[in-house]
Amino acid sequence: MKKTGFLAVVCAIVMLSGVSGYSADTIKVGVPLAETGAYAGSGDNYWKGIDMAINEINKGGGLLGKQLEVVRFDSQEFAPEVVMQGANYLCGKMKVASVHAGWAGWGQDIRAYGKYDAPFFCDDGAMPAVDVYKSNPEKYSNTYFITDTGGDQANSMFSMLTALPYEYPNKKIVIINTDDAWGMEVGDTLSKRFKKIGWKVAKRETVPYGTNEWGPILTKIRRINPAIIHIEIPSSQEVITFFRQFIKQPTNSILSYGWSITPLEVLTTLGKDADGIVGEMPAGMPAPKAPNSKSQAWVDQYMSIYKHPVPAGSWIAYTSVMAWADAVKAVGDEYDFKAVNKHLKEAGYEGLQGRIKFGENNTLHAQPAAPIVHYQVQDGKLVALFTDPPLKPYGDYKFQVPRWIKK
Amino acid sequence: MSLKRMVVILVGFYCLMGVMPLFFGGTDYIMNILIMILIWAVVASCWDVIMGFAGIFSFGQVAFYVVGAYASAILSVSLHVPPVYAILLAAVITGLFGVLVGLPCLKLAGPYVALVTFAVHMTLVPFLRGPMGRAIGSGGAQGILTVPPVSLFGMTFSSEHLVPFFYLTLFLTIICTIILVLVIKSYWGTAFLALKDSENFAASLGISAFKYKLMVFGLTSFITGLFGALYAHYVGMLSTRMLSMDVFTILMIMIVIGGIGKYPGVVVGAVITVTLNQFLAPMGMYRPLIMGAIVVVLVLFLRDGLVNPIIRLISSRQKAGRTGEYLS
Repeated sequence: MKKTGFLAVVCAIVMLSGVSGYSADTIKVGVPLAETGAYAGSGDNYWKGIDMAINEINKGGGLLGKQLEVVRFDSQEFAPEVVMQGANYLCGKMKVASVHAGWAGWGQDIRAYGKYDAPFFCDDGAMPAVDVYKSNPEKYSNTYFITDTGGDQANSMFSMLTALPYEYPNKKIVIINTDDAWGMEVGDTLSKRFKKIGWKVAKRETVPYGTNEWGPILTKIRRINPAIIHIEIPSSQEVITFFRQFIKQPTNSILSYGWSITPLEVLTTLGKDADGIVGEMPAGMPAPKAPNSKSQAWVDQYMSIYKHPVPAGSWIAYTSVMAWADAVKAVGDEYDFKAVNKHLKEAGYEGLQGRIKFGENNTLHAQPAAPIVHYQVQDGKLVALFTDPPLKPYGDYKFQVPRWIKK
Repeated sequence: MSLKRMVVILVGFYCLMGVMPLFFGGTDYIMNILIMILIWAVVASCWDVIMGFAGIFSFGQVAFYVVGAYASAILSVSLHVPPVYAILLAAVITGLFGVLVGLPCLKLAGPYVALVTFAVHMTLVPFLRGPMGRAIGSGGAQGILTVPPVSLFGMTFSSEHLVPFFYLTLFLTIICTIILVLVIKSYWGTAFLALKDSENFAASLGISAFKYKLMVFGLTSFITGLFGALYAHYVGMLSTRMLSMDVFTILMIMIVIGGIGKYPGVVVGAVITVTLNQFLAPMGMYRPLIMGAIVVVLVLFLRDGLVNPIIRLISSRQKAGRTGEYLS
């Protein structure tokens, strides 16, 4: 009995100790993403970009002569203690040299990773996260927001919708958004901007994730017959069911899906049925033809590996890994966080679309080298109509009036 | 289980926990696991008392936990109540909330209580995210981002000061555990068991179902709210993601591993579940698969949980040993 008890205590201590996280032969890179739960889809999109960058670096001989080693952590549904535990595990225990997170929460991640010094790249895209950063910029100086906030993206959506070569039959818009920080930010900004130019927000509906029965809302929309219906739900199931129920008896409305157009499942499920819908991707890669040969080669490689077009998050997650690796190469020491952070902020990184630079609040605001790309679904594919900033038509691609709009 | 055995297990557990910071005080990752073990051990124990002993199929435990967390956060952020008082007030608010939830449940049986309490859980998300929640300071969809840490005797207790916070949690855990053990082993505990086994027979003995059921709702929600409030000041940030099914499932796994109504098995259940859940986190999708498989295996082969069969085995060996000595 005594022996069993002693063994149990030893086992418990060994279990808690875990394996040593430090090895000098490799450079550890932390990747906390949602691998399970409601956000696993977007987590996978970021992962593909990160994985591609790490494989590319390793195939090229590694970084400072060492191979990169990925340490993953499942952020699940971003409960505060899980996010905190991710930071403690990756930075505290495994001593990773950088953290590439994608969408990692709405502020709790900034506090969790701000405790450490390793560069932390996240795609929170919402003001609450930036507010946490602003509460103590010195402490959170290792945080890098790899896309604009919802408000800034909504401003770009507004500019695109008002720049479309299309004469709206009336000045009524219906806005449907989720009840989270992202959805509210986009909905509020669009509502404000359209009201300012004399439009009527005929209906504003805030819905929870999981809304798949759109009958009552569509009945009201059909009565209103708005010129624009904007939907901001970053989850595929809801926007797919909305479209399927809308198209049974469509109104003469431009269907604007905002960020909601980018989850992979939307186009793979709807295919050509989705032709006509417009939407955007922050820090995106214009398609189907990339802006230059380097970018095109990257897109081709991506498609040959994953067999689908580039979804939101993949390219910028790839770019953030490459930017960090470039900074480490310049500094010569992956653990000299101060110097790596300084290089990242001051020098930026020469990416596929040009030199990216982090701006105010360590945010990669929309810029020519990492633009907000506005797409329309044409022939079942995302086709770039505009890039922003500055908002300008992209290539020779032309807006097509959706087939459900009757003249 | 006898009081002596219960005390031995709990004292052993808390002594072991008490020395852990000597080995892991400098490892945030482990300290966070230890703190979460303590918090969940109490929350799961409360659920075990209400479900396993009182026989009330309440599914509102996570809701009570979240009410405590939000109440304390709102009191300290919006009304600037010092965190220590906010935590105590939050526990009282949650206790009253528990009584309110308990009232309609008194007239209901088994699965209907589960439905009502789970409905409370489900309505909390839209309430906290919606205009009513925002009006009381829940922060709506973005939650509350700046919950202040606990300051006591010139010391700060937060996720940035893990060892002090661990001992504060341990202190509160021990107090609440003593309360729960006293309740289970007192006349109250016997009354709970009597009501669980046969409400009519218990009533004929003068045990008031109304009084004791309400009491158990009030007590367990008070303690759960206290630990929810403590959690809020620990992580410094709240969101309605605390009400996700993942959290609910993890809590349920603790009970299944520990054995329903087999206190203090649930404390061991909390240790195993929190530790496994954390160590499996780097394994991504395999984490829920493994956790789910554990539940299936336990439900099929060890319905009393893990702890009770082990204790029975040890007891039978001890008895066999004594019999052997006697015969020789």
